Amino acid sequence: MILGAILVLLAAGALAWAAGRFVSPNAPRWVSMLAFAAGLAWAVLEWQGGAGANGLYAEQFIPWIPRFGINVILELDGLSLLMVALTMFLGIVAVVSSWDEIEAGKGFFQFNILWVMAGVVGVFTALDLFLFFFFWEVMLIPMYFLIAIWGHENKGYASMKFFLFTQISGLLMLLAILALVYFHHASSGELTFGYKALLGADISESVRLWLMLGFFVAFATKLPSVPVHTWLPDAHTQAPTAGSVILAGILLKTGAYGLIRFAVPLFPDASQDFAWWAMLLGAVSVLYGGAMAFSQSDFKRLVAYSSIAHMGFILLGVYAFNELGMQGAIVTMIAHGFSTAALFMMAGAIQHRLHTREMSRMGGLWVHAPRMGVMTLFFVVASVGMPGLGNFVGEFLALLGAFRASVPLTVAATIGIVVAAVYGLYLMQRSFQGAPNPDVAAMRDFGAREMSVMVLMMAGLVWVGVYPQPLLDMSAATIAKLGVLP
Amino acid sequence: MLDLLWLVPALPLLGFLALFATEGKLPDKLVAVIGAGTVGIAALVALFAGREFLQSGEPSFSLSLWTWIAVADFQPSITLYLDALSLVMMGVITGVGFLIHLYATGYMWKDHQEPASYSRFFAYMNLFVFAMLMLVLGDNLLVLFLGWEGVGLCSYLLIGFYHRDAANGYAARKAFVVTRVGDTAFALGLFLLFRELGSLEIQQALAASSALTPCMATAICLLLLGGAVGKSAQVPLQTWLPDAMAGPTPVSALIHAATMVTAGVYLIARMQDLYLLSANAQHYVAVVGLATLLIASFTALTQRDIKRILAYSTMSQIGYMFMALGVGAWSAAIFHLMTHAFFKALLFLASGSVILALHHEQDIFKMGGLWKKLPVPFWSMAIGSGALVALPFVTSGFYSKDAILLTAYDTSGWLYWGGGVLAAGLTALYTTRMMVITFFGDAKTEPHEDSRINMWLPLAVLGVLSIVGGWFGIGVLDELLGGLGDFSHASPVAVVTMAVPLLGILLGVLVFSGRIDVAGFVESKAGDALRRFFDSGWAFDWLYERVFVKPFLWLARVNKGDVVDLIYTLTKSITRGLHHTGALTQTGRLRWYAANMAIGLIVVLLLAAGWL
Repeated sequence: MILGAILVLLAAGALAWAAGRFVSPNAPRWVSMLAFAAGLAWAVLEWQGGAGANGLYAEQFIPWIPRFGINVILELDGLSLLMVALTMFLGIVAVVSSWDEIEAGKGFFQFNILWVMAGVVGVFTALDLFLFFFFWEVMLIPMYFLIAIWGHENKGYASMKFFLFTQISGLLMLLAILALVYFHHASSGELTFGYKALLGADISESVRLWLMLGFFVAFATKLPSVPVHTWLPDAHTQAPTAGSVILAGILLKTGAYGLIRFAVPLFPDASQDFAWWAMLLGAVSVLYGGAMAFSQSDFKRLVAYSSIAHMGFILLGVYAFNELGMQGAIVTMIAHGFSTAALFMMAGAIQHRLHTREMSRMGGLWVHAPRMGVMTLFFVVASVGMPGLGNFVGEFLALLGAFRASVPLTVAATIGIVVAAVYGLYLMQRSFQGAPNPDVAAMRDFGAREMSVMVLMMAGLVWVGVYPQPLLDMSAATIAKLGVLP
Repeated sequence: MLDLLWLVPALPLLGFLALFATEGKLPDKLVAVIGAGTVGIAALVALFAGREFLQSGEPSFSLSLWTWIAVADFQPSITLYLDALSLVMMGVITGVGFLIHLYATGYMWKDHQEPASYSRFFAYMNLFVFAMLMLVLGDNLLVLFLGWEGVGLCSYLLIGFYHRDAANGYAARKAFVVTRVGDTAFALGLFLLFRELGSLEIQQALAASSALTPCMATAICLLLLGGAVGKSAQVPLQTWLPDAMAGPTPVSALIHAATMVTAGVYLIARMQDLYLLSANAQHYVAVVGLATLLIASFTALTQRDIKRILAYSTMSQIGYMFMALGVGAWSAAIFHLMTHAFFKALLFLASGSVILALHHEQDIFKMGGLWKKLPVPFWSMAIGSGALVALPFVTSGFYSKDAILLTAYDTSGWLYWGGGVLAAGLTALYTTRMMVITFFGDAKTEPHEDSRINMWLPLAVLGVLSIVGGWFGIGVLDELLGGLGDFSHASPVAVVTMAVPLLGILLGVLVFSGRIDVAGFVESKAGDALRRFFDSGWAFDWLYERVFVKPFLWLARVNKGDVVDLIYTLTKSITRGLHHTGALTQTGRLRWYAANMAIGLIVVLLLAAGWL
């Protein structure tokens, strides 16, 4: 069933491309919509169906290359299901946010969106390291095309930078995977890429630190964490709106997911030794990302840097090595998915209307577009960490957990919430408040289509903010099974 | 009725949701009904629920709604908790809140800067009341924090309500960011408290707190004090409050006088048992209060803007409350919180009527001679001022301030008492200045009074409360909270406490009506410097601007391009340089290649022969 979902997205991609060619240029977006809606429906059904005795909502095993111990192993547990549902939902958001933004190559555009998301679903469910790496690459190439073809003025530079960062860090991970399999084979005589078999691999202390770092660098680059974050502001700023929504909403989360699912459980001892440094990177990301966000004059770039700050909380939470921190990281993944996707959608909508991302050319937009103003305000407030909305639950839990691991680093990261207020409200001020910019004569407000996805994301954040328990219960089962927490 | 306690916060929330969802499309009259009505009904529910609670005789009542978060041992629930303290707070918030909402239906009526702003205003106000109620009713520090941040958000939204003016936006952001600095300390306090005591549930944590080491108790208390100082505009995080006056006047009355700014007082009173464990922390609370009290009183003497005078006066009155908490006069602090809510809301609303009548003029030196032309605002302000100054026996402010000062004398000696009395004298002085210049002397601007029932009725009710609130406090509050007992008004200390404000008024009348000429001093160099120093709020803004704001802005400016990216651009440049260097050798000239091969061959041969 999981493979079926992935194949549906892949097939829908091909279909969308063909439909754009042979039916009508506007047919592909409907194909995408339907595919993601079907995917979301599937995820909800799996959730409603409940988990089996082994804690899995669905699982699949198909032999692939038995000689090397490579198999198609796909499993859907609580964490995977949450992330898959988020992926499908943000797929819809991405399609809606680029509804009439794309002029040329509409079919191929949707093809790329669907293929990225297929890769993402694979990443969130694969439990064979070879298969995982395969999907990791599948999501990279279409994303590269999305930026390189439909991006803005500096798309060549940004897409190449994105590609190189991801590819080089991915290469490190590939080497680590191969070495892990090799050492496991050497010690146990079993040649396998299977995740569960490798969990208990017996590897010498000096080697496992390096292998762990191979994974860590790949995931930290994707997350991203300072100092390997510099691809992100460029990629985000240059990407088309749907690209940014996917990138911020989902692709960054694959880095976080990789840390939780692979880097930490495969190398628990090495990760524990490394935890303080990872938390340090997290705290630095929170502060540096926040300060950098404030210095931007480009709406989209500001939101991009704010993502770096938010992802810092994930590093803090995961490497706090307690349940509070881990849950905080997971809730942050979900909540940030909503809040930042919405802000990128807003950035895209403004750029589509005003042909600029520069905040100096905005100001007082509330007068023209009060709905957009209210929505921006809401999502800014959410990302500033207002209790009652999702981001607060995630960040508070992450900090609460981190406080037990390291007080100084937690203090530093907590100061980040002041910085978040500074740049968040500044964004609001420069775009929607203040005297109306005389250069902007009018701006079309959001219509029903945009509002419906905005309201859904609002509802999502309120739900995570006031009643996150169903979500926490789902991830709690996964965390317990990872078995890395004391 | 007590089981319906959840309705008290739910009703304003419902009002907010209704106004939010309809996007300002409702007719203004309906907006007014929803905006003020939901708070009014909430006040009624609160009244009945409170009566039932008091009749039940129980010390507290809890209403669990749902578990908010349950992760490992961290299980905060959304539970409403009613005891004497939260009952008083709930009464003030819904009661005074309703009166201010009612007044605002008139005040904001013709204030249509843009479509839907009437509805937007009441949406924010209702959300504020909801958040404030969660703050005082939450039985868990996390729920309290939800309300705490929520009121901060609404304060931000309402200060910047007229968002076309960038200055208002700045004031709003300043308020939010400065209080957030305090909130950071508060959050860290919560982390520490949870780590040490394993629960954020207030009663549980307080019960377990005796196990804390003194050092840990002090640390937690000081971190919470950091939050309180930010929210309640006390030194050193007081600088946002005067600027917050950019909001519409009903906002100043509700948020920046009667309720939100007293949240810090509530927090410390709520955590009383914790503070009792740390004499040090309690001492700092008193010091903060005393410092703010004096700084704000001196500053209020020099302000020209009527709302800023009231803002500094609010700061100083909350300073009294902090001082009270610090010297152990817990109940007196809450008593003063209540009476202050009455008379300061009254003062703000009345000043709002003056401002409205003068077409948004706020400079007292452009007013004058208004007492006959604006009788309702004048008498309201006169009553409010009387309570602020603490006119003996006939005003509510007298009883609460007296309770604070006399307890301070009993428990902590002459220093706090003396500072408090000095500030009381200053209070009398600046209040007299405000009244004399605003309402007497020559008229400078012609007012047009526009007084509808929804505007004068709240003034009348608050006027009555400002007078009778003191007796109510002595009678009822003492029974609820205890410790307000009988203070003898015959002792020398009590007489001095009473007399100083009267002297302040006398001096004020003489100086500001021109019978004592102080122009010589005021215009001298030293006098002018002193005036400017006070006027700037003791140069705190000046200092923070240089220590925090400018360096941060500088950093943002120089690092806009992200210095970390240099690693990668340099890598790129080096790679490209190597590429170009390598490409240089590829000239396409046969002779060049042959020569190189020959040189290479020779070098290899020489190496092989061991000559190199």
